[in-house]
Amino acid sequence: MPGRSGLNRSLFRVTLARMRLDTFIQLTLNGLTLGSVYALIALGYTLVYGILKLLNFAHGDVFMVGSFIGFGALQALGGPATPKVPVWLLLVLIVVAAMAGCAVLGVAIERFAYRPLRNAPRIAPLISALGVSFFLAYSVQLLFGSEQRDYDAFSLSAGALFFDGFNIGNVRIPLLRIIIIVSAFVLMIALWLMVTRTRLGKAMRATSHDREAAAMMGIDVDRVIVFAFVLSSALAGAAGVMFALRAPTAATIGFIAGLKGFTAAVIGGIGSIPGAMAGGLILGFAEAYTQGYISTRWSDLLVFVLLIGFMLFRPQGLFGTPELKKV
Amino acid sequence: MKRVISAALMTGVAAVLAATAVAQPAELMRTEAAAQQGVSCNSTLKIALVTPLTGGAGFLGNAQLRWAKYAVKTLPKQYGLKIRLVTGDTPVEGGNAPAQSVAQKFVGDRSVVAVIGPATSGAVAATSQTYFQAGLAHISPSATRTSLTQGATKEATAAFFRVVPGDYIQGPSDARFMIDQLKVKKVVIIDFQEPYSVGLADAAQTFLRSKNVTVQRESTSVRTTDFSSLVTRVPSDAEIVFFPTQQPEDAQTFAQQLLEQGKRAKVFGGDGANSPDKFKVPGSYVSNFARNISDFAYNKALIAGWQKDNPGSQLESFGPPTYGAVQVALNAIQRACKAGNGRVKNRRDVVRNVKRINVKNWILGGNFRFSTKSNDPLNAKFYIFQIQSNGSYKLVG
Repeated sequence: MPGRSGLNRSLFRVTLARMRLDTFIQLTLNGLTLGSVYALIALGYTLVYGILKLLNFAHGDVFMVGSFIGFGALQALGGPATPKVPVWLLLVLIVVAAMAGCAVLGVAIERFAYRPLRNAPRIAPLISALGVSFFLAYSVQLLFGSEQRDYDAFSLSAGALFFDGFNIGNVRIPLLRIIIIVSAFVLMIALWLMVTRTRLGKAMRATSHDREAAAMMGIDVDRVIVFAFVLSSALAGAAGVMFALRAPTAATIGFIAGLKGFTAAVIGGIGSIPGAMAGGLILGFAEAYTQGYISTRWSDLLVFVLLIGFMLFRPQGLFGTPELKKV
Repeated sequence: MKRVISAALMTGVAAVLAATAVAQPAELMRTEAAAQQGVSCNSTLKIALVTPLTGGAGFLGNAQLRWAKYAVKTLPKQYGLKIRLVTGDTPVEGGNAPAQSVAQKFVGDRSVVAVIGPATSGAVAATSQTYFQAGLAHISPSATRTSLTQGATKEATAAFFRVVPGDYIQGPSDARFMIDQLKVKKVVIIDFQEPYSVGLADAAQTFLRSKNVTVQRESTSVRTTDFSSLVTRVPSDAEIVFFPTQQPEDAQTFAQQLLEQGKRAKVFGGDGANSPDKFKVPGSYVSNFARNISDFAYNKALIAGWQKDNPGSQLESFGPPTYGAVQVALNAIQRACKAGNGRVKNRRDVVRNVKRINVKNWILGGNFRFSTKSNDPLNAKFYIFQIQSNGSYKLVG
């Protein structure tokens, strides 16, 4: 039989192991929440790149605009402390408002910033995308100021979104995180079904494969491109609201969020829909585990090391296929 | 061919060197000339507000702008002066470059006789030499980094003044409160890798460790908005998370995420987190360089007037010291005008007079004078507030 000190040591080890497991579960949850948002942003990059071969660097700022539209809708519906509608409906409405607003914005961006440059050298739309990015960030700053905007989700139902939920071990899985993760996955699955099971999805895949051939087969390529912008911007709008429900938003958040979404798309293989989903989640987990186990200082560095690493050693990403060139 | 390229390169380098050599004395001469050209006190003089009006710290700059506008609207008559407020935007994301270009603009304008700001410590360190060479007094309402005015290698010059105490007072004050009142044993300190935050975190950490309190130091970026994984690193037995942010919304998010993860630690923010409408998680603490200005009866009319001009705006903590800084500047300009028989003969005359001022019924409480040992306020102290369940701030230390 072990002595008292042996028992104490065993007890200590069990407690330590449980604490480590709790930390792991908590970090996994953090990564999943963050990764779901990154995946939605990455899907936007992938959709547009897949069809136009264009890196839409304004996408991060569409995400930012989405978070502002959600904020406006929240205020219009009575604000977090005194909502005029039930909380679940309020959440649905602000997400829908942000998706609709961003979809319109996406169409405008495509019409005025990219369509005129569709046959220009590839650098031209890239520069135009950067211009749109700055235009959106500074316009929002001019219109709404530079202050951060807090949805104050804590006040909704007196903190129920943070305190209700269920436990895994000692780790609480709050309702708000469940809502964010489930909503993100629902949107991703809906997109996947739309692309693989509908006529429009088939047209998108055909355009992505060979735009000229698709046009010759009678596909309205312009319509497909506009639809890709509608989808990608709507996803960015939803991601903006999901992000801002947990953290304050500001006119300047688009750049870094866009860069992370782009990195996620590159990791998964830009142009690949499952790749964007996987890339977002990988990036979210990598960031959360780095912050939790190493240091928060290292997480941004890790993101960009991953970006450079994939660019150098596997430019097609995890799910992409290497581009074949005719010789 | 090689020769041609070499010759072209040599010519280019020589041209750049020559242009630099010519430009530097020209710039110095322009600055010196602007410093020495007098201006009549009957003309409209300019006071420049240098602060981040855009970018992540824009909330701070805009709060300062509201109070500076009100001060310039209401105070100059009392001093027999006509003043116009001009502004220079120094977004923190731009690093030193915007602050330097704003400084060059104002030192070249001889009607600018004093600067309110720069608002941030980094901008002060980057531009104080420029203002000093031009003899331009720059009075900050918010730059609190200790090394600007203290220590063997001061970062700011003799033309720099501040109307709020430095971090050498705030950090130890906060730490002393944690030890004496909260009886802490374990504290987590988080800095944001920027001068304000690191300086304040260092000052508090040194004091806490000297009293044998266990300190876990963490660091994050100013761009971080979701702190979940940082919260996961907070030990369950830590009593306080010292969180010197300049964004009160970040303190709010962090405190909410602590609650979400079931941690018992309370957030303790510095003056940057002091904002009753943005940081309101009950039980948290904030420190500030002043009590609430509405605690002083003599501020009643002033607050009413300001609120009439700024309907719906909160008093905020960064705004009122700006009013005070304008008051200090006007005092010094008035003295320089008297000494120059109706003219500010040289902008250095304003600098010389700043330390002589004495303001009664100071907006932040009591009377205001500068210390004789440094360009910091005399007998300044920090106050600690605890957030109550109704969101109000209660003075506790």
